[in-house]
Amino acid sequence: MSAQALKGHLDGMLLAALEDGPRHGYAVMEILRAGSDGRFDLPTGTIYPALRRLERAGHVRAQWSEEGGRRRRVYELTPSGRRTLDDERHAWQEFSSAVTALLGPHRRPVTS
Amino acid sequence: MTGPGAVDEVIGAYLAEIATRLTGPARARRDILAELEAGLADASDAHRAAGLSAVQAARAAVAEFGGPERVAEGFHAELAAAQARRVVLPLVTAGPLIGGLWTVTAMGGRTVPPWQWAGTPAEARPVIVLAVLALAAAIAGALFTMATTGRLVGRLPGRPLVTAAIAAAGTAPIDLTLLALFAVQVAATPSRFAVFPAATAAAASLIRLAYAGRAVRTCLATRTLSRPGHS
Repeated sequence: MSAQALKGHLDGMLLAALEDGPRHGYAVMEILRAGSDGRFDLPTGTIYPALRRLERAGHVRAQWSEEGGRRRRVYELTPSGRRTLDDERHAWQEFSSAVTALLGPHRRPVTS
Repeated sequence: MTGPGAVDEVIGAYLAEIATRLTGPARARRDILAELEAGLADASDAHRAAGLSAVQAARAAVAEFGGPERVAEGFHAELAAAQARRVVLPLVTAGPLIGGLWTVTAMGGRTVPPWQWAGTPAEARPVIVLAVLALAAAIAGALFTMATTGRLVGRLPGRPLVTAAIAAAGTAPIDLTLLALFAVQVAATPSRFAVFPAATAAAASLIRLAYAGRAVRTCLATRTLSRPGHS
């Protein structure tokens, strides 16, 4: 998957990774990798500024917390983040079903 | 290279390379570096769990995070926003207070705006008008900065360091004008002003002048250092 194609949907994917509960940056990255069978290949260092931008937009809330002797910045969805995730999801479904209809597997015309 | 010293060296050198490319408020930079450090430790753990040695895992973590220029560049917009907010916030907070102090000073029991103060030369009037226009630009710059660096991020195109510099610089003409008019007045009729609000208003304007000068320099320096290609 090209980095450019991924970047356009990064916000939505980050919000989706936080949907099931608060996580720190590296855990978000691991979810994106696992959920895409390793096809999500943006450098890990680009996740952190993106999360901070979502924080500034009010879509996530961040808090430093200590766990296992390591201080980590943990991100959590806000109500506004949940709404944005729903919107992104809806837009993506519309877009992808339109593209699938046009670009999906070729159906041979039925001959009788 | 083996052992924990070598691991710290790999991670430390990488973080140091990023640190030299970050500009903006020191606290925000420290916060970013601390978060990256924890992330690199998590990444190293993951690579060790996959069977790499400590040093190999640290190197793999650094490779996974991406080049220091690229990582630092990713934070530029965030740091610019943090710097702009830091510059503008004191102006927004203190602005109405300084305005109020001067209003109390000018009134001094009578309702007389500064351009009608006895002894104010007629030529001062256009200067006051220009200063008020500059102040209006400053207020607009401050509000725009707060909006584009806050919730409206991404919805409105913003140049936070430019609008923050306008917010700071725009306060200078009104402060200079008021201080000059005030000095003329005090020299002519010293007893005209109540000492406390007058002295406080003048001091506040002097402080804001100094602050504005420093703020503009900070904004311009952050902007220059965060341009792509600069390292």
